[in-house]
Amino acid sequence: MGDKYIVNGQKTWTTLGQYGEWIFCLVRTSNEGKPQTGISFLLIDMKSPGITVRPIKLLDGECEVNEVWFDNVEVPAENLVGEENKGWNYAKHLLAHERTNIADVNRAKRELERLKRIAKTEGVYDDLRFRDEIAKLEVDIVALEMLVLRVLSAEKSGKNSLDIAGLLKIRGSEIQQRYAELMMQAAGPFSLPSIFEAMDAGWQGNFPGGVLANAPLAGNYFNMRKTTIYGGSNEVQRNIVAQTVLG
Amino acid sequence: MDFDFSDEQEQLRDAVRKWVDKAYDFERRRAIVAAGGFDRAAYGEMAELGLTGLFVSEAHGGMGMGPNEAMVTLEELGRGIVLEPLAQTLIASATLQTHAPTALQAAWLSRMAEGTALVVLAHQERGARYQLQRCTTQATQSGGQWTLTGNKSLVAAGDQADAFIVPAMVNGSGGQASPEMGLFLVERNASGVRTQAYGTQDGSRAAEVAMNAAPGQLITLNGLSALEEAVDIGMACACAEAVGVMDKTLAITVEYMNTRKQFGVNIASFQALRHRVADMKMQLELGRSMSYYATLKLHAPAPERRRALARAKYQLGTSMRFIGQQAVQLHGGIAVTDEYIVSHYFKKLTQLDMTFGDTLHQLGEVSARMQDTAGVFA
Repeated sequence: MGDKYIVNGQKTWTTLGQYGEWIFCLVRTSNEGKPQTGISFLLIDMKSPGITVRPIKLLDGECEVNEVWFDNVEVPAENLVGEENKGWNYAKHLLAHERTNIADVNRAKRELERLKRIAKTEGVYDDLRFRDEIAKLEVDIVALEMLVLRVLSAEKSGKNSLDIAGLLKIRGSEIQQRYAELMMQAAGPFSLPSIFEAMDAGWQGNFPGGVLANAPLAGNYFNMRKTTIYGGSNEVQRNIVAQTVLG
Repeated sequence: MDFDFSDEQEQLRDAVRKWVDKAYDFERRRAIVAAGGFDRAAYGEMAELGLTGLFVSEAHGGMGMGPNEAMVTLEELGRGIVLEPLAQTLIASATLQTHAPTALQAAWLSRMAEGTALVVLAHQERGARYQLQRCTTQATQSGGQWTLTGNKSLVAAGDQADAFIVPAMVNGSGGQASPEMGLFLVERNASGVRTQAYGTQDGSRAAEVAMNAAPGQLITLNGLSALEEAVDIGMACACAEAVGVMDKTLAITVEYMNTRKQFGVNIASFQALRHRVADMKMQLELGRSMSYYATLKLHAPAPERRRALARAKYQLGTSMRFIGQQAVQLHGGIAVTDEYIVSHYFKKLTQLDMTFGDTLHQLGEVSARMQDTAGVFA
């Protein structure tokens, strides 16, 4: 509309939206052509009149995501990124660069170290039945790191690595769930007390079992179930991988 | 990190693939299995391609190449489920070249490179499973001559090989009270050597080797670490071969799914089956990644190398079992027939898992060798 856009609608699963000062949105600006066209990429000031943010409490008790409503929100035309109706192209570009990051190998290596520390503290590191599960995870993480290195190498030399890049999200998310689960299992019943304040820095209370680091483990396990759902569920990812293999 | 293959490596891959496709088709393989599972002529053809001399230095008439070229070669041999045990030649030539006295090298390496002598590792004993330090074969020295007594099992092409590399315990050697292990070269035609051969499940050939005061030549008295090196080369070879076998198994399965019709459509259109294929692709690429890793680490210091190879072989074992079993399931009944090719790939995958340590053994090795930090570079 001349020098501004009027935005109406609802977005959901907006991560940490309650703290956001700005939000970037894909908004429909045309109904012509294929569904992918007619989408524009807008930057919106969260203080604009007509925006409502409702945090969604998740199963771990935290409000990590939000619903955001837009009711006749006015957005200056200069806040358009690139060209009108080309927003899907820009979003695809961003997603393509997310491929190797989504595997999150470095975090997995760090969490593996943490898992070993927890297992030692809780006395299960020398239980071969438990230790072998850590060993399996260690191999999984090394294999994931090799897979990421192969994708990076292929991209550097301009080769098509699409067939293996699609695997990264599936494997990375499964590994994230696995280390979260093993950490909870390492603490066993001492992961069960649900004491929120225990996760605040400097808390001086008495955590059952005496190991404060156990406080977030169950919540973390519950939270990590999201990883195989978001970013294109792993079932959708399998459809994509199967397409590259079977046609 | 750069995983691109050099032009020279791609040429080697092409040459081996062409030979497998043209000269080692399923019918020839079937005939070799029926004739006992080892064909000297086929082995000679591999020698003409230079493969038997891959690790042998140019001074001894070989190609003087390294682990990357071995990996490329074995992937292609795996693709054709070639029966003749090139991995054994790579193990034996590397072991002799690194550890044997120069006279022993001169006596064997050039003949191994030209394919006229086959030397294989004879290290497995009943009761030792995959534990390399468990060895009951004895070596004794008298008048400057070593003789060996003991039994080795599942020796690749054991009745066809010209010589064996044999680990044996050396009593009180070097003035030490506790026995240590030596590696010896024992010729098959030497006195006191008997072999009893049989086919194995993948169609290849093996033998029990019994030695009764059989004369042997000393390769090294640092036998256990030399044997560990040899087995690690064998593991890297098995990983690379597994990648080729799995790659071809998946390709055969995909082709079948795009041809076979059920309810009037290709079975490749069913989502339950498509997701299974996606999981097979995952296991293949995890396996390929860890085969690269095994090859990368083959020259690392021993503790790092041993840990890396165990990780790699664990992954490959897991991948092979999954891909083999799913290939059979996705085909349906035809896959459990001897006539159809995929059953032979399945059996090869199963046997490769038990070659140089199966999945459970490797998991134990990884578990025992874990450190605080882990990763490709640690």
